[in-house]
Amino acid sequence: MILIAIIIGCIVGCIIGINIPTIPYTYSGYLAIAIIAALDSVFGGITSTLKRNFDMKIFLSGFFVNAILAMLLTYLGEKLNVDIYLAAVIVFVGRMFDNLGKIRRYYVEKITTRKIIAKAEATIKKANEEK
Amino acid sequence: MKKNKIAVLLGIVCLILTIAIIIQVNTIKRTSSTVSKRFSEDNIRDEVLKWKEKYDKETQNLDNAEKELAKIREEATKDDVTASALEEQITLNNNLLGLTDLEGKGIELTIKDDPNINTENVAILDDISNHLVHDNDLRMIVNELKNAGAEAISINDQRIVTTTAITCIGNVIKINDEKVSSPFVIKAICFPERMETLTRGGGYLDFIDDYGIVVSLKKLEKVRIPKYTGVISSKYMK
Repeated sequence: MILIAIIIGCIVGCIIGINIPTIPYTYSGYLAIAIIAALDSVFGGITSTLKRNFDMKIFLSGFFVNAILAMLLTYLGEKLNVDIYLAAVIVFVGRMFDNLGKIRRYYVEKITTRKIIAKAEATIKKANEEK
Repeated sequence: MKKNKIAVLLGIVCLILTIAIIIQVNTIKRTSSTVSKRFSEDNIRDEVLKWKEKYDKETQNLDNAEKELAKIREEATKDDVTASALEEQITLNNNLLGLTDLEGKGIELTIKDDPNINTENVAILDDISNHLVHDNDLRMIVNELKNAGAEAISINDQRIVTTTAITCIGNVIKINDEKVSSPFVIKAICFPERMETLTRGGGYLDFIDDYGIVVSLKKLEKVRIPKYTGVISSKYMK
């Protein structure tokens, strides 16, 4: 269900994105950092859905606040001539890998458990038949 | 929290995300067709693009301001006979100087390098440079047009004004400090019928046509000639 929603969202987004005009080059840096912040939020959302502690308020506020804060930091960095956006990129990408790890672990464990259960059931069945 | 709601929410967020990514990719693709990998060059390119954007914006502001000014002048000189005569004079002079966009009937002349010749199939005693359009060709054509009474001329949207130079800089031709290249679209506001004589036998267009340069002349009811965007300086004029 969630996977289907994500795929539909991506396809529709592609179609809309291709047909709307591009932004000035000056602002592309800000959009890039906002994209990374949003990606981080999406991964966070998926992880929390799997852990069943998904909270809409936290998710939405994280999505917008992270993106805006990252853009402000980029702006500040440009004014101070320090590449502060690198810090934001490191944090976001680090968290992305973190969340990806959690998602991976969840599915691997699920599959392993299923296999163990299947094996146990087979053994029990065999034992019953031998009786 | 229902699962459906979560799915819809994540879908919408992904939608926004993908739109943003596509916009970003398109922006980068549009602006960095000649990518340099070196960081310092990247920075310089960034700067150039930013300045160009600023320049475009300012030019637009200037355009708007000029339009405003024209309107105000018209408004102010409406009731005064002498003032409106002066106003007409100013408009005429601006048109002649090339400071305004012009429209009127005239011709559109397109000349292109010979498409059938390249370095492989050019004859031994022939020179490929004979089959290309040169700065000299453009000068001759502009001369002919002026001689035939053209009132305003532009080449690839570069207005020919009093200070215009047409020079050769290697592969391309420089007009008004802007690079232009083949095909050249020469527009002129003039009496179109008279321009038919341009293609007369023995005329310059006939001459370059013999060398395989593609020449096409169109008479138009409405030709639009852009204004001169450079600066006319008057530092030493007293």
